[in-house]
Amino acid sequence: MTEPLTTATTPQHTHQEAGSGTSSPAPPEPVVRIDGLSKSFDGRLVLDDVRLEVGRGRIVSVIGQSGGGKTTLMRCVNLLERPDEGTVEVAGQVVHSGGRLVCSDLPALRRTVGMVFQRFNLFPHLTAVENVVLAQRTAGVPESEALERAVTLLRRVKVAHRGLALPDQLSGGEQQRVAIARALALKPAVLLFDEPTSSLDPEATREVLSVMRELAADGMTMLLVTHELPFAREVSDHVVFVDGGRIVEEGRPQDVLDNPGQARTREFLASYGSAS
Amino acid sequence: MTSLFQVPWSDYRPDLLDALWRTVSYTAVSFAGAVLLGLAVALLRLSKVWPARAVAAVYTEVFKNVPLLAIIFLSYFGLASAGIRLDVFTAGCLSLVVFYAAYLSEIFRSAISGVHDGQTEAGEALGLGKVGIFGHIILPQALRQALPGTNTMLVDLLKSTSLLVTVSAAELMSEGRLITSATFRALEVYLVISAVYFALCYPLSQFLLLLERKVRAGVPLSPWRRRRVRTARALLAADIGTVRGDSHRTDLKEAAV
Repeated sequence: MTEPLTTATTPQHTHQEAGSGTSSPAPPEPVVRIDGLSKSFDGRLVLDDVRLEVGRGRIVSVIGQSGGGKTTLMRCVNLLERPDEGTVEVAGQVVHSGGRLVCSDLPALRRTVGMVFQRFNLFPHLTAVENVVLAQRTAGVPESEALERAVTLLRRVKVAHRGLALPDQLSGGEQQRVAIARALALKPAVLLFDEPTSSLDPEATREVLSVMRELAADGMTMLLVTHELPFAREVSDHVVFVDGGRIVEEGRPQDVLDNPGQARTREFLASYGSAS
Repeated sequence: MTSLFQVPWSDYRPDLLDALWRTVSYTAVSFAGAVLLGLAVALLRLSKVWPARAVAAVYTEVFKNVPLLAIIFLSYFGLASAGIRLDVFTAGCLSLVVFYAAYLSEIFRSAISGVHDGQTEAGEALGLGKVGIFGHIILPQALRQALPGTNTMLVDLLKSTSLLVTVSAAELMSEGRLITSATFRALEVYLVISAVYFALCYPLSQFLLLLERKVRAGVPLSPWRRRRVRTARALLAADIGTVRGDSHRTDLKEAAV
């Protein structure tokens, strides 16, 4: 890892990437680029001038306290939340700028950004396989192709044997794995994970993290909001610590998580029992 | 017993069958209309535009708080006196539609509101548009929630067609009145008419209960969904087979009633 995987110009502290210099290969093309992003809810600033890039094939983990703006930052990528200021660029296309929607085809944008929710949000009236088929069909994928792809994805996340079960017949871990398959169905350029294991017991958490580990090994671009710090350390190329709506610190996982430069980061890590 | 049943029922069989058909026709047409109008009113009540919400709220409150009999008289006699002459079938159906649409709109509104916001977000995140989200995600879940109340309304509507006797709508109750006038056997006639209503309503309510259970179990009812699940089952056969015997295993087939 010789080049910065993401860049952030606003944090108080950015670790120098080891080996960076003129001999470093070019940074990967950014799939997500956020610049000067701010967002308020009812006059309360929850994101303040945030800048972030996620390069193709990279995994960026966003950590921080609940209410610090992590989820809002993620939801601004696929515009489930509309930023008040700043620019959001996805797959080379500016989609939101200066508080205005620039993208002419919002559904098409969202099909390039898969999202996995904390509470799964599977469609309870459809079986697991139908959950994975639905978005493909509405995007115009032929029925047989959509079904075959759904079955392939369910096998990939190791839940194909439950393909005909309804969500309420599945365990939490199975539901989240179906949700991952559903998010992958439209071959997104980037996957967003919003605290995907927060609602799961330890065994289910292990199952889901195992699937995410495999996706990471396959080179999937991922932006991950998580409290699973050991997992973030293991799979991430880059870790971003967000607090009070600002990026306080970012860099390689071993730097941010094991040798944080900011007192606030150390305090946060200590509260999670993860300070080295 | 023989003294109780003295009406020559075989003589009235064609008229009774005709009345039965009319009762079923009133029920089917009125219920279809009430569902459509009720859904439209429910959507208006959930609209972000306040005048639309206000109109829908006034409609619902008015028709929920006026007796059905008064609405029938208004439709048939009232409108006629204002120069709008509706035939008895149209007036009868119109009365039932506007009355039951008010109740159904409340059931539908509650069911649509009851679908979790996360469902809409999941649809948005998958790139579905507003129509796609409503048609594929919200409406199917809302219908599932609304089914018990809607089914109750259907049986109630069927029974309420008997009120159309007041405008001689030629349905079962009107036919019963005619037979009573001809035979003076009120107890026997209305016992038989009541039995016919029971014979209509009881199987209907049992069928609707069965339908509710099937829908709750996720059993595919539409031909295209049945085809999709069948194809998926064939594609997943090897995977499902590998874990056969798992104690926790349940799927659509096993959950089906």
